[in-house]
Amino acid sequence: MKFYLLPSNKILDFIQGLSRKGPVYYSQLRDGNTHLVRFDPDKDFLPEFKGIRTAENIKHFFLPSRSTVARYPDDEKISAPHQVLFGVKSCDLRGVDVYDRIFLKWEPIDPLYKARRENTIIISADCPEPADTCFCNLVGINPYAEATADLNFTEIESGLLFETFTKKGEEIIKQFQDLFTEPDKGDEKERQMIRRSAVQKLRAINEKQFRAGLAQAVEQVDEEKVRQARDECVECLSCLFSCPTCYCFLLADYKKGKNIERVRVWDGCYYSGYARVGGGMNPRPKFDERFWNRFLCKFTYFYQYEEIYACTGCGRCNSGCMAKIDIREILWQL
Amino acid sequence: MAVINPYYPIPTKIKEIIPETPSITTFVLDGRPIDFSAGQFAELTVPGVGEAPFTPSSSPYAEDLEFTIMKVGRVTSALFELKPGDSIGVRGPFGKPYPLDAFKKKEIFIVGGGVGFAPLRSLFLALVHNIKHYKKIYIRYGARTPQDIVYKKLIPEWQKIDKVDILLTVDRGDDSWKGKVGVITVILDEIPVNVNSAPTIVCGPPLMMKFVTQRLVEAGFKDEHIYLSMEKNMSCGIGKCNHCRVGKFYVCKDGPVLTWKDIKDIEEPFI
Repeated sequence: MKFYLLPSNKILDFIQGLSRKGPVYYSQLRDGNTHLVRFDPDKDFLPEFKGIRTAENIKHFFLPSRSTVARYPDDEKISAPHQVLFGVKSCDLRGVDVYDRIFLKWEPIDPLYKARRENTIIISADCPEPADTCFCNLVGINPYAEATADLNFTEIESGLLFETFTKKGEEIIKQFQDLFTEPDKGDEKERQMIRRSAVQKLRAINEKQFRAGLAQAVEQVDEEKVRQARDECVECLSCLFSCPTCYCFLLADYKKGKNIERVRVWDGCYYSGYARVGGGMNPRPKFDERFWNRFLCKFTYFYQYEEIYACTGCGRCNSGCMAKIDIREILWQL
Repeated sequence: MAVINPYYPIPTKIKEIIPETPSITTFVLDGRPIDFSAGQFAELTVPGVGEAPFTPSSSPYAEDLEFTIMKVGRVTSALFELKPGDSIGVRGPFGKPYPLDAFKKKEIFIVGGGVGFAPLRSLFLALVHNIKHYKKIYIRYGARTPQDIVYKKLIPEWQKIDKVDILLTVDRGDDSWKGKVGVITVILDEIPVNVNSAPTIVCGPPLMMKFVTQRLVEAGFKDEHIYLSMEKNMSCGIGKCNHCRVGKFYVCKDGPVLTWKDIKDIEEPFI
C-alpha cells in the first residue's frame, strides 16, 4: 500500500487547491460538535478531524432534500454541482455505499445521482475518538475507511497520512504532488496504533454485539416489542431525515413559467400518507407498523438484497431523538 | 448516447375520451409515446398536477395507447377534467410483463373486478393476437351493477371469438340484467380448467383480490400460477423511491404483477 504524507503546514494549501475544483466542505468544531462547513478563504480555517462524523449529513450532497429532476415539456438538462467533501467519516461512507447500490447498481441507474456522485470528490478521515452514540462496530464497519472514498487520511503527529482508493484519488495526489512528502515507517506505525485504539474504544462503548440472524429476528418481531420500542416516539421523523441511508422520496410537479419542474423531495415512511393509495387504502395505517417498517427496511430487506445493513452506526438517530430512543437498545432486545 | 432521464415525462396529447361507466373512462393517447408488453405499466402526468401509475388497457400490438381509469384521487380527478387535444405526459414502460411464453398451450383463467378489467383487457388482447398458441381463454368478470361494467360494447364481440369463454356477474342487477347476480365468487364455483397447469390472472379491488385468491387456492391452482396485480402507492416507477415495497418486493420493478407464491406470507398483501 502506498502512503502520502501531507505535512500539517500544507493542509491549507491543499484545501485551497481543492477549492478550485468546487466548494470544499470540511469538518470544524463548533459548540462542542463537529460541523460540516464550507471553506471560505476569507475566513479562519479551523479543521477538526479527530471528532466523530459531522452533525450534518452528507446525503444532502447526493440526494438533496429538494432537487429538480426534470423539466417538461422542454427537456432542459439538469446540471450537477462540482463539490469536495473533506474529512468524511467511515460511517457516512457506508451511507454513500448504500446509495451507490440503490442508485447506481440496481437497474435502471439514476443519472442525476450518478452525475452528482461523479462530480463529488470524497476525502475521508479516520475516526480516532468514537462517542457514546457511535456503533459502527455493531454493523460491520471499522472507524476508518476501507473503500468508497477517493482518498482517506489518518491525522498523525506530523500531518495527514493519505492513501488512495480510486483513480480520481490518485489523480488528485498526482496533481498536488508538490505538497506531499514520503512518509516513514514510524508514520505508518502511528496510523496502526491510532486505528487499533479507535477499534478498542468502540468495543468498550458497545460490548454486546447484535444477535446472529438479526435480519430474520427483525422480520419475526412480536407486536408487544414494537409497541414498547415506539412507546415514547413523538413522530418528529428526526431519525429518518438525519439517517445517512434513508432515501425515500416522492416526485412533485410545480409550474414554472411555461415549463413544469419535477422536484424530488424527501419523504419518510413514518408519515401516515406515505404508502396510501389514490383510493384511500393504506397498507400501514397503524404507527406501530410504520415505526417497524424503518427497521425492516434497514435490517431485513436491504440485507436480503445486499448482505449489509442499511445502517451505518453513526448514531444520528440516537442523538437527534427527543424521546431518547436508542436504536441499539431496540435491536439488543430482539 | 444521450442519457435518458427516467423522471422526464414524454409529452403527448389526449386523442379521444371514451366514457365507460359513471366513474370510469378510457383515455386514448395521441400516437405511441411508449411501447410496452402486457402487464407493464406507465406513469401518466397531468401537467402541473402530478402523476400516477396505470397499466395500459389497449393491446400491446395496437396503434393507439389507451388507459381505462377510475376517478378516485387527486391525479385522476385532474385527469377527468382534461379534454381531447389537452397535453399529458407518459413515462414507462415499467415493471415486468406477464410471462406469456409460460402460458403457451395452456388454458388461461382471467378474473377481474371493476376497473381491474383494464390491465386484463390488455393481456386478453395480447393473447387473442396470438390465440393459436393458447388452448382456451376464460374471463370471469364482476362489477357492482350493470351500469358499472366496463367495455360493454366490446364484450359481446369478444364472446364471439373462438376459444374464448366469458362470464359476467353483477353485485346488484336491474330489470335489464339477464345474467348472474352476486359477488365475483358466484361465477367461480365452477372452475372449468385444469388447475394443475392453468395460469390464473387476477386484478380488481383489494377485497375482491383477497377472496378470489382464497377461492383459487381452494380450487387447487398452484401458488406460482396465481398472478395478482398489486395496487400500491408509487412515485418513481424505477425501484428507487421505496413507496411501493411489499415485503422485499418493489411492486414497480418486481411487479406490478406478483404471484401468490411471492406474497402469501405477507400479512394483508392486497391492502
